[in-house]
Amino acid sequence: MERAVQILRALLRRALGQSAEDAPALVDVTIESAAEPRLWVRFSNGYRTSAPLLPQDCFACCERHSAWDVESLRRALLGEARHIYAQMLQEEAAMRERQRRTWVAEQMRRLGRGIAQSLRPRREALRFPVFGGRSYLDERRTEAHERGMRLLKDNLSPAQLQQLNRYGYFEVIGGKTGKRYRIRHGRSMNIDQLDKNGRRVCGWCFFPEGNLVTGDVMLAQKAALELFEVDALKIANKMW
Amino acid sequence: MGVHIVMDRSGDTRHEFDIADARAVALAERRFKELTGKGFRAVALAKDGGSGRLMGRFDPQVEETLFIPQLQGG
Repeated sequence: MERAVQILRALLRRALGQSAEDAPALVDVTIESAAEPRLWVRFSNGYRTSAPLLPQDCFACCERHSAWDVESLRRALLGEARHIYAQMLQEEAAMRERQRRTWVAEQMRRLGRGIAQSLRPRREALRFPVFGGRSYLDERRTEAHERGMRLLKDNLSPAQLQQLNRYGYFEVIGGKTGKRYRIRHGRSMNIDQLDKNGRRVCGWCFFPEGNLVTGDVMLAQKAALELFEVDALKIANKMW
Repeated sequence: MGVHIVMDRSGDTRHEFDIADARAVALAERRFKELTGKGFRAVALAKDGGSGRLMGRFDPQVEETLFIPQLQGG
């Protein structure tokens, strides 16, 4: 692992160690140019932490991000830090969830199934597994989900954005056939082909590989239908 | 300034490069070839949220290139 990334990890771990229950959001990464340069990481609760950063720590990172000045390196490290911190928060949440489940199981054993059922938190009802074994609520919380939705919204036309905000779906026109499709909020089985009156003709299911977040999947579906519709539909499964 | 946006599990990873810097452009071209070689599709994003353009080859003049992983049927 790159030395700069190792330093970032250590700094981020400090913040999690400070308040594991309610982890603060990562605000900024700065590089202090002084006799002894330091890498600073700042969090939403005001917590700041730093570590020395030597030029040789940064070479691999500079190379990978093509960052050849301090500002570009700072941006690259901020991107890395966001990625790493999101992963760490996810792992932290998964660990707490495992601990909580162990506790619940123990209570169920002690109190008996009937009483334990009544003690189960109501929000549990909203937890259902999606791809990769994570839960719906967990995914919503992650920064990755927000980044995906931001990327999607940045690349919708004003009309599509309005549809998405108002109805939770947006329409695209097939680049080759001119057919209308509706892409609903979701990661699979979320594409409807429409007739000229806006009625559903059939459904299509395709998505990019790699267990991507919802925003990315919807943007990939939009781009596919607009730019390589025929190829996409050859891969897709049709649903009546 | 050009940027390569690669879709991944973290949402996306962005690689910025200065089009005036020959070394950075060469690295960007290598990244383009590696990703498209792995099956990613490169799309030149349109500014107004329009359809964009499918890219068959690297073009350093494109401001934002989105890399979409290979599609699969569900």
